Amino acid sequence: MLKIKLGKIKMRNPLMLASGILCNGSLLKRAATEGGAGAVVTKSLTKEVREGYHTPVVVGVEGGLINAVGLANPGYKAYLAEDLPLAKKGRAPVIVSVAGRNVEEFEEISVAAAEAGADAVELNLSCPHVNKHGMEIGADPATVAKIVEGVREALEIPVYVKLGLSDRFTESAVSAQDAGADAVVAINTVKAMAIDVEARKPVLANIYGGLSGPAIHPIALRCVFELYQKLSIPIIGCGGVSDWRTALDFLMAGASAVQVGSTLAVKGIGIFREIEAGIKNYLVRNQFRSVEEVIGIAHR
Amino acid sequence: MQEKSPTKSQDKSVGKDQSFNSFGFLPARIKRTIGENSKVKSFYLEYSGTLPRPGQFFMVWLPGFEEVPMSLSDAGDGFVRISVSNEGPTTAELHRLRKGDRVFLRGPFGNGFSLDESPLLLVGGGYGSAPLIYAAKMVSSSGGRCTYLVGARCKEELLFVDEARGMGIKSIVATEDGSEGYRGLVTDLIKSELKKGRYQAVLTCGPEQMMYEVVRQGVKQGIKVQASLERYMKCGFGICGSCVLDPLGLRVCSDGPVFDGSLLLKTDFGKRKREASGAQVKLC
Repeated sequence: MLKIKLGKIKMRNPLMLASGILCNGSLLKRAATEGGAGAVVTKSLTKEVREGYHTPVVVGVEGGLINAVGLANPGYKAYLAEDLPLAKKGRAPVIVSVAGRNVEEFEEISVAAAEAGADAVELNLSCPHVNKHGMEIGADPATVAKIVEGVREALEIPVYVKLGLSDRFTESAVSAQDAGADAVVAINTVKAMAIDVEARKPVLANIYGGLSGPAIHPIALRCVFELYQKLSIPIIGCGGVSDWRTALDFLMAGASAVQVGSTLAVKGIGIFREIEAGIKNYLVRNQFRSVEEVIGIAHR
Repeated sequence: MQEKSPTKSQDKSVGKDQSFNSFGFLPARIKRTIGENSKVKSFYLEYSGTLPRPGQFFMVWLPGFEEVPMSLSDAGDGFVRISVSNEGPTTAELHRLRKGDRVFLRGPFGNGFSLDESPLLLVGGGYGSAPLIYAAKMVSSSGGRCTYLVGARCKEELLFVDEARGMGIKSIVATEDGSEGYRGLVTDLIKSELKKGRYQAVLTCGPEQMMYEVVRQGVKQGIKVQASLERYMKCGFGICGSCVLDPLGLRVCSDGPVFDGSLLLKTDFGKRKREASGAQVKLC
């Protein structure tokens, strides 16, 4: 009842672990096996090793988390060799998130990911807190087109594009579709900050970070709803999913799948099963035969 | 739909009923400081939350510097105590703080030791003995019995021996240079101490290679060992994955930091760890 097909990828439910959460191979496996995620997304991989920013890199606020981890990762070669095989043992599709500084890097990392057995790649065109790796790429439809075209031509596996809030958000999404993207992931965290009034200082070492969690859900929902009217490729909703209702409203707005992240901090790895059970219950109660019947239903 | 019936999640992380707000910082004023030895200083911090368990930790932030995970070496009515070893820029700056200054806390995080069995053997090395002395206090105040086995390079670097003896807890000391007690490593003493046979369980905290040896000896003799691990952490509450133990995917911050020894032997405990980037390196 909850099975979906996202292009070539078959998922036992429409719930994915979002990029940057749990991160390492053995924990992605746990999210799939113990947690029940339908697919998992790796942390964003870069060409070089990145230690990330000094701590604090994450802080809790009302309604969510603000993080500036700084794309910490051991470099794509090490991650694909050591972590990806562990992640794949979870037997759910593994989507490799890719963060390059230019078309060539996006291509190089994506091709390596595909060769290493990734089921899809998710191009991170929207990290809000790392220069040259972030928002400025996704906010420019022409750059989006160039990167997606390059990667699309070099790959057999699906190419997803993760976009963040920007003035030209919808244009960038259309541009990604026209360049051959297989799905758009909306949205990334929203650039934000926290100041501790007792310390009288910004909390994050990087000052700026990305806000995630329930606080951004209505914004993300609006973005998905708008994209559904503009795009013909699938949309993956991301931002503030914390229970079955906030997953289901994404689907009703037009998302074919949703990603879950920050809420693991308060509800644990088992959150996927909890959401799955809630959606299933709703479908049965309302006499739907498949979750696919509710996708985009709010537009009808 | 051919779904298997949902299995119960093994995620036993504490605090899963928390709100996002609980991952913010709270200021804590320093009530008192005590030099424990040449490298370690204890800070009594004002604290009014629920009493943390031995083995639980706080993320301690010094604005302008980094935040570091710190196990508690004591806690009680209105205070928690952290014992800070001077190891880097942030801990060096912490050492400069005085009574009345403030640090910022998130936590308590992690599971903590189980203290249900008695008698217990507590095996500590270096600043790892901090959570053990708090455990010893809880054990003795609830009528249980324990022995404190502690090692250091030399007499001057021993930690909490007087405090343990002051509570009437039998203490066995090993120093590498022989300046006090047995000359050698604590791990040299484990085998004979365990052979005496009365211990129901062992709690250990210290350098990972030392704990690995303690776990090995305990498991060999059929005695349960709880080991409290230290790994590089970014978040402290289970979402970043930095402190993972492969291949089981156990997070030191939220599935631990205290783990059953036989479980640890199925991981890279004592062999490999991850750096800030997530890169895996050999433990040395």
